Amino acid sequence: MGMKSIVGRLKAPATNDLRKRVAALEAEVQECRQLNLRLAELTDIVTDLLVPLSRGDEAALRETLVKYQESL
Amino acid sequence: MRRLFPRPGAQVSSVSVDAEGITARSRREVVLDVSFDGRRIHSFWLHRDGRRTSVPHTWLVPWPQSLQRFLSGTTRLSLTVHETQQVVFEEEVTFRDGTDRIAVVNAAGQPLSLDKSLRLVQTFDTRSEQHVRPLLDAIDHVLTGLDRAGIQAFLAYGTLLGAVRDGGLIGHDSDADLGYVSKHEHPVDAIRESFHVQRALVEMGYRITRYSALAFKVDVVESDGVVRGLDVFGGFMRDGYLHLMGEIRTPFKREWVTPLGTASLEGRAFPVPADTDRFLAATYGKSWRVPDPAFHFATPRSTHRRFDGWFRGIRVRRPLWDRVYARRPGPAAEPSELARWAASREDPATPVVDLGCGTGTDVLWFARQGTPATGLDFVRKGFERAEAEATAEGVDARFLVCNLLELRSVLGTGALLAADRGPRVVLARHLADGVSRRARLNAWRLARMVLHDGGRLYVEFLVQRGDGDLAKRQKAQVRTSRMIARELRSLGATIVERDVVRLPSGDRTGRSPAKICRMVATWE
Repeated sequence: MGMKSIVGRLKAPATNDLRKRVAALEAEVQECRQLNLRLAELTDIVTDLLVPLSRGDEAALRETLVKYQESL
Repeated sequence: MRRLFPRPGAQVSSVSVDAEGITARSRREVVLDVSFDGRRIHSFWLHRDGRRTSVPHTWLVPWPQSLQRFLSGTTRLSLTVHETQQVVFEEEVTFRDGTDRIAVVNAAGQPLSLDKSLRLVQTFDTRSEQHVRPLLDAIDHVLTGLDRAGIQAFLAYGTLLGAVRDGGLIGHDSDADLGYVSKHEHPVDAIRESFHVQRALVEMGYRITRYSALAFKVDVVESDGVVRGLDVFGGFMRDGYLHLMGEIRTPFKREWVTPLGTASLEGRAFPVPADTDRFLAATYGKSWRVPDPAFHFATPRSTHRRFDGWFRGIRVRRPLWDRVYARRPGPAAEPSELARWAASREDPATPVVDLGCGTGTDVLWFARQGTPATGLDFVRKGFERAEAEATAEGVDARFLVCNLLELRSVLGTGALLAADRGPRVVLARHLADGVSRRARLNAWRLARMVLHDGGRLYVEFLVQRGDGDLAKRQKAQVRTSRMIARELRSLGATIVERDVVRLPSGDRTGRSPAKICRMVATWE
């Protein structure tokens, strides 16, 4: 067995470990990115649904709900 | 690996054509056009799209799947080098011993050809000025709407390329694309702006289909009733990079986009980015001036990952259901077993909500019996016929588009349905086995909102595939009843009933039985 392949063998677990860590990190980054849409959706719900709902009477409430649902 | 792009001076030889595909020899990558009886049908890159044969420098490009069904009969097949228009093959070719001329046309007899995604479409090279005018009107119409919504949009992608390079639509293209660059620089703000733009357009009477949190399609109904969808790709600047859905991420300056300039498209002036050269180079590479009907985007994976993470995930499995409902199937004559079962146990006056109503069969059945019923589904085409029938009959059935992968859709629809007081019956038939965990949790959230004043949720899903026929028909994936029960409990539900039912032999084709689980939950 040559020197190179011995070094390669010794390195392999470290490389594998690094691959796994990169894959895990990518997944974690992706999770964080997905929060952007969540946050935008929740903000939209508050500003464009809850706020108008809290200001209107019964008839206006229903109209707001219908309009919001249709606008999606 | 270095990508070898087509370069001038390719020598194409040894061309042969058979039922499997087109074989040709060329040391260099080359773009080739295939014509049937003088009309372009298909274009490809010889090396990229082909596979090596045992003969050196010779590649076989198989016939695309979408073209297979037309390959019976005779045609004068020619193969042309796209860039130089040099004809490298021209012969009468017969496929499958057919005697008729091959006609690649749609049901109305209109000529079709393959676009760069290998879809059969009516491309512009087969359309006359009178066909193109409605598209230009549609572009105008959508640009006007966007402008009123505060968005300065411009021609993008193939439409921009055609306008700048030739002053017209590209022959092998089939649709028009628009783009805009938000004034915001954070994904959250760009998304919120996109929501507001959609809302403004809906108020103006436009019909919108959302592709992602930053791109949507605007439907334009033309004078002959044909609905044409224009894609609007949102974008934003961030950290010195232009991000544009569809899919560009490149170092860029805002002043290369705005203030917008104009370019002529088929004799009409339309807005375009300020620096079209830089914009097109960012889209198609520096060689954008060289026509290539088989161009594929080579987007870095990191760009896909960014856009996927920020903006996508709201249309999972949507293409599959769009295909299922593309022909607008009518509601079935008989309701589902689950609907009958629920009806036999519930007060007929209690309104029903069907999550994932599909063709609206059960909704219509309940409404016809006097039970107010609402159907929710994310594919409008699925329930359109049932909706029309319900309107014609004057029964109390209502249908709403609801996407379980969009939190706004779930909460907005839930709030609307919860505005009517009183208990409900909620059905979810073959929903749990057709959607992801995220969509299921949203479905249960929606059910909880709707059942605020009491009532029961009836769930039915596949727990054993059996011979696979039912799974195939329902596009279902097996779930365990424990998994579904756990999800429901995590949102505060109580499981009051759980039954595993073996499907009767009449409902299946093979020997191994499929099994479904019926579960009843409440939020008392």
